[in-house]
Amino acid sequence: MLNVSPRRREYETLPSLNNPAIPARAPLPQGETDDTKRIVERFGDAVIAAGLHNDQQMVYIRPDQLVDLANFLKTEEKLAYEALVDVSSVDCSKLPAGETIDARFHTVYQLRSYTRKRHLTVVCPADGGSQPVVPSLAPVFEGAVWPEREVYDLMGVGFSGHPDLRRILMPENWPNHPLRKDMPLGGEPVPFTLTWEDPEFETLGKQVLPAESVAPVLPPGMNRERMIVNMGPHHPSTHGVLRLVVELDGEDVIHVDPDLGYLHSGFEKTGENKRYKDFVYYTDRMDYLSAMNNNLGYVLAVEKLLGVEIPERAQVIRVIMSELQRIASHLFWLSTHVLDISGTGMSLLMYATRERERILDLFEMVAGARLTISYIRIGGVWKDLPPAFLSHLQDLVDLLPGKFDEYETMLTAGPLWQERLEGIGRLSREEAINMGLTGPMLRGSGVDWDLRRDMPYSGYENYDFDVPVSTDGDCYGRYIIRMEEMRQSVRILKQAMANLPDGLYRTDNRKVSLPPRAELDVSMEALIHHFKLMTEGLQVPPGMAYHGIEASKGELGFYVYSDGSAVPYRLHVRGPSFNNLYAISKMCRGHMLSDIVANIGSIDIVLGEVDR
Amino acid sequence: MGLEDKLPEGIVTTKLEDLVNWSRANSTWPLLFGLACCAIEMIATGTARYDISRYGSELFRASPRQADLMIVSGRVSNKMAPVIKRLYDQMLEPKWVIAMGICASAGGPFNNYAIIQGVDKIIPVDVYVPGCPPRPEALLYAMDKLREKQGRETFAMRRRDDIAAAMVAPQDIAPEGGSPIGALSGLRKHAPRIPEA
Ligand code: SF4
Repeated sequence: MLNVSPRRREYETLPSLNNPAIPARAPLPQGETDDTKRIVERFGDAVIAAGLHNDQQMVYIRPDQLVDLANFLKTEEKLAYEALVDVSSVDCSKLPAGETIDARFHTVYQLRSYTRKRHLTVVCPADGGSQPVVPSLAPVFEGAVWPEREVYDLMGVGFSGHPDLRRILMPENWPNHPLRKDMPLGGEPVPFTLTWEDPEFETLGKQVLPAESVAPVLPPGMNRERMIVNMGPHHPSTHGVLRLVVELDGEDVIHVDPDLGYLHSGFEKTGENKRYKDFVYYTDRMDYLSAMNNNLGYVLAVEKLLGVEIPERAQVIRVIMSELQRIASHLFWLSTHVLDISGTGMSLLMYATRERERILDLFEMVAGARLTISYIRIGGVWKDLPPAFLSHLQDLVDLLPGKFDEYETMLTAGPLWQERLEGIGRLSREEAINMGLTGPMLRGSGVDWDLRRDMPYSGYENYDFDVPVSTDGDCYGRYIIRMEEMRQSVRILKQAMANLPDGLYRTDNRKVSLPPRAELDVSMEALIHHFKLMTEGLQVPPGMAYHGIEASKGELGFYVYSDGSAVPYRLHVRGPSFNNLYAISKMCRGHMLSDIVANIGSIDIVLGEVDR
Repeated sequence: MGLEDKLPEGIVTTKLEDLVNWSRANSTWPLLFGLACCAIEMIATGTARYDISRYGSELFRASPRQADLMIVSGRVSNKMAPVIKRLYDQMLEPKWVIAMGICASAGGPFNNYAIIQGVDKIIPVDVYVPGCPPRPEALLYAMDKLREKQGRETFAMRRRDDIAAAMVAPQDIAPEGGSPIGALSGLRKHAPRIPEA
């Protein structure tokens, strides 16, 4: 195994300013809502705490009642929490002991009711000290299967009753669970001061390490008698380093088992060792096709903890950026999807990237980068829009709808295109909800749900747009949805341009955003704020927050646990591609080998986000 | 000039080595292989605006057996490293490697348990491209640098390396108490080839 360097860095947070109140636990929820009242009535003493925390409904439940609670939430008509959108976990070993709870590990579940438009967070302190076990929710919500495997892999929490508890991201023979707080970040010391004369220079970067591979194991449920084919991690149509183990009978797919983690980059662990403002740059590199969306999701979660108000202008700029990014991401999806399955592939790749380049030019105009932009920052955006931006955007907005028509002429009614997509990868409404799918995957199966409209953030309630829904549940339906989404994004862009207010582009709350340079010359107070922000970083009050946004691929959620210091205590990302990819086995079963490619394209995955 | 004056039109004289290098440099086929964010910029380099086919490299081959150039476009995780190594071994000689972006060059922002600090820990690299991600222009510049390098190769250099790798055991190369790097460069078939002046 590689990279297990003997010189490891110890776990460290920034000095907590000699503040005895740091680290602190997240306070328990207070008050009550209709839903928590119902839960407390039904479960009585098994509920440790319930109520509101940072305006989020939250319930702490004892592990023995967890499955019952999940069943109750799902089946009780007045609650109707149909979907489990995320599972994460917290290792509390570096926090002070709690008054009511002293378990080392907590598992955290995010539940969603699509009919009632509600969100509920369930926290479950795990029994068993350093070898924790909690009951699995996979029998209740199928969408828990992969997220629970991820928690097991990275945090070492066992799930009793889980159908398939294996590692999912790390190699089979990895010795530990990297997200635990007693595990160091790893990596190598950086020789900043090395000179040509240093003897160490001789060997720097020159050691050739053995790259040992682990012998592949047959995934459970596969039959050796049949043909087993390995697709990826190096395959032109897997959109990155995804590996699929496929069991075939002739050309018919019997079983597909994805093997993830070939791009696992330790985002969450890295985030827990960086200050809040420094992690914004990492989010770009997660779903690298929609960096602006990632920035937005992360800063909204942190801003929820901070409780800052964002100026109107900044909000509209954020909307403009995330809609542009959605179009850019969909254009790239379209070009690769067509390249994979249709004869007109190369030409559409050229056309769609031509338009995408124009969007990237706009990004370059505002932030100087094409792909990893980091333009949306905590408290607002990095800089105001340059003067020529709006006229360029206007040109683009005028041009795009005609181009979308052009693509559709090439594809929508094309017999080859229809043949390859219609009836492929069909998912019913119930399956889609139960598997925790989001975004176009969910809307493609007839669920009328869009976070921008149903749980608005960043002022999306002020825009008039339609949410396309298809009831076919197949790849063709999802294609139609994405094409329509691009048109709706153009509609939002037009409204945003018309209503762009003047004013601040980032908050003037000096605890959060830096004072402008000119102020430093005249104001001592500004100087102090600047100094404190640069040296200590952003102080975030203790608590936890989950915020989901409608990214181009589905619900992108960030779960942040703050201990009061300038570094997130726990940072978890719910990548939409990860949860959506779970559906691949069901979508492919019974179809031909070549349809796997259509299904991968239709899910629209980005491996940086799947593996994180 | 000289002989060429006397020959009929359309005939050029050159060295065989130059001819081979010229054709190699103008038809370097990359491996169709993307890892992370940098791969998106690699694809952008292949599209009409940047047009990598000016270099004869637009033909991204899906099979390592048909590719001459590996563009390592992105971060290399522990799980991916053996795969990259195997792909590299499967490519036929002569082969070249571009480490695209800071991740592939030195680990970049991911100095942690999951990412290998530079792909040169597992395979030899010819050209490093800085940037996160490097712009398509930067990748094209790297191709230029690679062409320069390809133009300098001689048959003798390659032959000498092959003989050295085939005949000398590692323990013979490392002198008693000598620097370990000497031993390793002997092991590495493709240690950086610096032409003698
Ligand atoms: S160098 Fe930057 S852009 Fe390239 S793979 Fe690494 S993080 Fe992504």
